[in-house]
Amino acid sequence: MFPRELLPIVLILVGLYVVVVGLSFWWARRIKREIKEKEQEIKHRLYEIAILKEIADRTGYSLNIQKILDVIAGSLRQFIEYSAASYMLLEPSKIVFKADLDRSVSPAFIKEIRGRMLGSLEALLGRELADMQIEETLTGAIMLEDMDEPVRSFFNIPLVIGDRLVGVLTVAHTKAGLYNEEEMAILYKIVSQASHAVTSLEDVVKAEQDKITAMLESMVEGVVMTDRDYHIVAVNPAAKAIIGETATGAPTIFDLAEKFKGVFDIKEKLEESIKLDKVLTLDGAAIGGKYYQVLVSPVRSNAGPMKGQTLGGVVIFHDITHEKEAERMRNDFTSMMVHELRSPLGNIKKIGELMRSSKVLEDKQASSEYVDMLYESSSVMLDLVNDLLDVSKLEAGKFEVAKQQENLKELITDRVKFFNTTAQGASISLASFTGEGVPDLVSIDPKRVTQVINNLLSNALNYTPKGGTVTVECFMHKQGVAIDDEAGHLGMPWVNDDPQKTTAALADSVVVAVTDTGEGISPENLEKLWNKFIQFVSSVRKGGDRKGTGLGLVIVKGIVEMHGGTVGVGSKVGVGSTFYFTLPL
Amino acid sequence: MAKKILIIDDDKIFSKILRDGLVAGGQGGYEVFAAFDGAQGFEIAEREKPNLIMLDLVMPDMGGIDFLKKLRAEDWGIDIPVIVETQLPDMKEISQGVELGVHGYFIKSDYSIDAILRQVGDVFK
Repeated sequence: MFPRELLPIVLILVGLYVVVVGLSFWWARRIKREIKEKEQEIKHRLYEIAILKEIADRTGYSLNIQKILDVIAGSLRQFIEYSAASYMLLEPSKIVFKADLDRSVSPAFIKEIRGRMLGSLEALLGRELADMQIEETLTGAIMLEDMDEPVRSFFNIPLVIGDRLVGVLTVAHTKAGLYNEEEMAILYKIVSQASHAVTSLEDVVKAEQDKITAMLESMVEGVVMTDRDYHIVAVNPAAKAIIGETATGAPTIFDLAEKFKGVFDIKEKLEESIKLDKVLTLDGAAIGGKYYQVLVSPVRSNAGPMKGQTLGGVVIFHDITHEKEAERMRNDFTSMMVHELRSPLGNIKKIGELMRSSKVLEDKQASSEYVDMLYESSSVMLDLVNDLLDVSKLEAGKFEVAKQQENLKELITDRVKFFNTTAQGASISLASFTGEGVPDLVSIDPKRVTQVINNLLSNALNYTPKGGTVTVECFMHKQGVAIDDEAGHLGMPWVNDDPQKTTAALADSVVVAVTDTGEGISPENLEKLWNKFIQFVSSVRKGGDRKGTGLGLVIVKGIVEMHGGTVGVGSKVGVGSTFYFTLPL
Repeated sequence: MAKKILIIDDDKIFSKILRDGLVAGGQGGYEVFAAFDGAQGFEIAEREKPNLIMLDLVMPDMGGIDFLKKLRAEDWGIDIPVIVETQLPDMKEISQGVELGVHGYFIKSDYSIDAILRQVGDVFK
């Protein structure tokens, strides 16, 4: 018999069993629910990832919100049930309404959701949109007149780009009780992520645009861009300066054409460039006293939906006035050089011709004259060839100075003696001064420094009228004192060039100067003194009894600089000039 | 009567060669004058009324073209034949010269004395 005492134990065990089983069921259900929830969550996550990826893949870095919305609307089917998924977008001149129908609905259903969406937009914007044109597109299932199920579930998500409301996204159903806030959270998230992406992209694009605008604005080259109908769509300040004042302030293609009238037909060039799809270059277009290289090029889109299409044309003006001027100088220089070499050579040849054919050789006086002319013509040529050779060596950096310890004071005395005859012949008094402390030996290339002094002295004698004075000066310069002040203290004649006292900065050196009482040089000509082209060409133009090639000063500067020194000149019209150079110790 | 020829050229050596060449080649038929710039040339031209002027274009102060303009502005100067000597043939100057009634050109270093003499002889034919 079952002992009674055991009954409570059995009951307890049974009770425990019931509790354990019950708990197990509860646990199992809870776990099941949790799994279901997890599944749901994973599904959401996967959907979210999938749709975001799809948006990225299909739209790329698109700023086209409509395209993005198409992707979102098209994907909703995998995720939620709806009768119609639609969006409404605000555009400047119209409203775009697009609905995707999953099942057939009545026209009244569509009218209802359209009305509700418009209402939401008006409420969000705080203004009436009733008079705006609505562009409607329906996709998916067809509308059926005999359907009469109304909208029973409806959910709106506002579309915001940056801080601007651009539209609403809506899902609607004929079934009631769908779309609670919780379910819609993911949709919110997706829309907001897409909006955020577009917003950041807009910022990036704007920053890029700003950069391009800033670059265009600050370009030295003039840039004009036109669309396909040759309307000017962009023009930078440099281009405006070239085109000049226009009636409206914003230049048109006609202003441009007018400006280039007679130079080239800008519209024709743009047409040609766009048609042939090539860059046209016009060199040396003379516009308003300047020379421009003009580039005309088609503008093609290389990305986006317009890829490969011609957007218009661009005209770029590159100022080449300087290059043209330099080219002209080079050409002048070359032709003048040829001229200068041909003259004496032609003369030598003709002297030969005369001596051969006439009785010159029998006439002692005539033959001595001809020999003199031969000597003079060949000397002129040789001087020129030597000078040209020196200049080209200097320019190529192949000019060499062989420095040695040399008595500079003696060298100067010797030069003064050498030029004394010429000076006396021209009734010019030639004097020389030497300051205290000039060392006996200075490290110089005696041959080259002789050349420098020869050049300066012969120039001074050439430009000094009868009765004038040419002085050669040699003294010490100490850093910290301007050279003209040093000359002044020593009581030496000096035509000042240094009101800013810049020579004070020069290191300790020996100064050699030649001062004349000639006609002086005007400030604008002073600047051109060291330019080989200008010097040479103007010396040829001067013609007549000029001596030297005009290249002397260019060579002087080169030689002095090879010694580590500086050249300078001070001049006053009607007073005279001081040419000086320094030789650092 | 000897023909008067005026050479206006700042290159004294060339001027002397040309003068000697013309004197020798003309065998007493040419009387040659020389001026070394435009102003001096105009002075001599006005005084001597030469039968031919040999004119250099590149000269200091009054250049060849300026001289021509001045010469052609004078009644006595309108019809004097002018041969232009040049070292650098410059189309602009040549066409300017043609407008001012220049008779001929020669390039200084290329033409021989004989060629110049023939050109001068043609003027007097």
